[in-house]
Amino acid sequence: MKRRELFVSTSGNTCVQGARTCGTAELIPNVALRTHDDVPVRFYDDLVKGKQVVINMMYATCEGLCPAVTSRLVEVHRALAPRMGRDLFMYSITLKPNEDNPAALRAYADMHGALLPGWKFLTGDAYDIETLRFALFRHNHIKFDLDPNGHAGRLRIINDSINRWVHVTPLASKATVLQHISWADPPKSLEQRMQDNRALQDEIGREVARYGYRKVI
Amino acid sequence: MQTKMFLRALALLTCLHAPAIFAAESCEAEASWKASDGERHFVVLAGRTDVFYERSGPTFVMLIRSAGDTVDLGAFGIHADANGHPAFGAVPASEYETFLGEPAAQGLAKSSAVMLRLEISGPQYERVLRVLRTWERRVAERALLYPDFALDNILLVRQTTDELNRCRQALVPYALDWGLDDDISEHNIALRIPFEYFKELKALNVARHVSDASMPVHLQMATLTAQRGPQAPAKEDE
Repeated sequence: MKRRELFVSTSGNTCVQGARTCGTAELIPNVALRTHDDVPVRFYDDLVKGKQVVINMMYATCEGLCPAVTSRLVEVHRALAPRMGRDLFMYSITLKPNEDNPAALRAYADMHGALLPGWKFLTGDAYDIETLRFALFRHNHIKFDLDPNGHAGRLRIINDSINRWVHVTPLASKATVLQHISWADPPKSLEQRMQDNRALQDEIGREVARYGYRKVI
Repeated sequence: MQTKMFLRALALLTCLHAPAIFAAESCEAEASWKASDGERHFVVLAGRTDVFYERSGPTFVMLIRSAGDTVDLGAFGIHADANGHPAFGAVPASEYETFLGEPAAQGLAKSSAVMLRLEISGPQYERVLRVLRTWERRVAERALLYPDFALDNILLVRQTTDELNRCRQALVPYALDWGLDDDISEHNIALRIPFEYFKELKALNVARHVSDASMPVHLQMATLTAQRGPQAPAKEDE
């Protein structure tokens, strides 16, 4: 009778408590993915590095949350159209990479009117997608993390150039989602902020003159 | 126009049939699976307490497969490193061999050790092996999913029991889900949760546990420990 070991126990394949080299995957994993146009990309290097991005997870056969989220993102895209594909990007990553090939994602995007500038639907290897899912959307709660569907109801907004991460539920109002995206906007110059504040003060003044109070919060 | 219609039809087809097809394929394989002569598969859920400073201990999943004149053995999870500290990864043979037989026979107190050994089918074995191989890759690539590997180990044991039960109920489950009825996660630190989980599973599945006496002679502890040699990796497809 021959005995064979299934796993080799060495220091290289063991994580020791407190070891700095044995942490979680990179903050933003640079995994290889494919877009809905079947173009190979590296997640961090090609899609996130130095950019402001809005990321969600979905899958083409999802009948519950995903269509509602995609529909909200279409509205958000419309509202931010001049920025999309220039300094703001949207990425929808499949939760079921074994089922969703680039063609299926393209079909899903087309069906929901989401073939828009600056918006990519992404698929890849299941291992890499799971790494990405945990890195971006982890709840630190076993039940929620084990159920990939739970991650379909979240939006992660990252501005890599200023290392700012924001989270919002896509089921909030469009205005709320837009506000959260703006929290990750690049910092404005002092002149720009003063100009914006003057414009806002003028608007407040007009509202108070008309209604007697600030109507739009 | 035709392309658009085709894409919509493709999406609809994928939408309606894909999950059912994938699930059916994997479970059909399990339903029709028949062991070849002498082929046996076992999974062992093993844990100890009072080893680490906060009184938790090694907890891991072990796989045993015998076919022809070969036995494949291996375990993955939390174990003690050379300094006695918790480590996550491939479990050294010296550690998992303690659980090749009933812990009581090794002099371990019943309250401080748990071992649930189940005989499983080839497809179940392959699915659990795939889970363990994925964690082996995560450890090697330093791409764990949580900042604390105690949580990674909980995920590993949950994935293991989920895979065992994917097509049929191989063991009576316990809902380790951080829900309102989950006392184990409510009252234990993360490092100890797998031990309590295995203990509960053992209590729920006593009838399914394979005792030492029921193990084939060539898979009994004395035979297997006597065969221990230098560690060498076994290939999945062999």
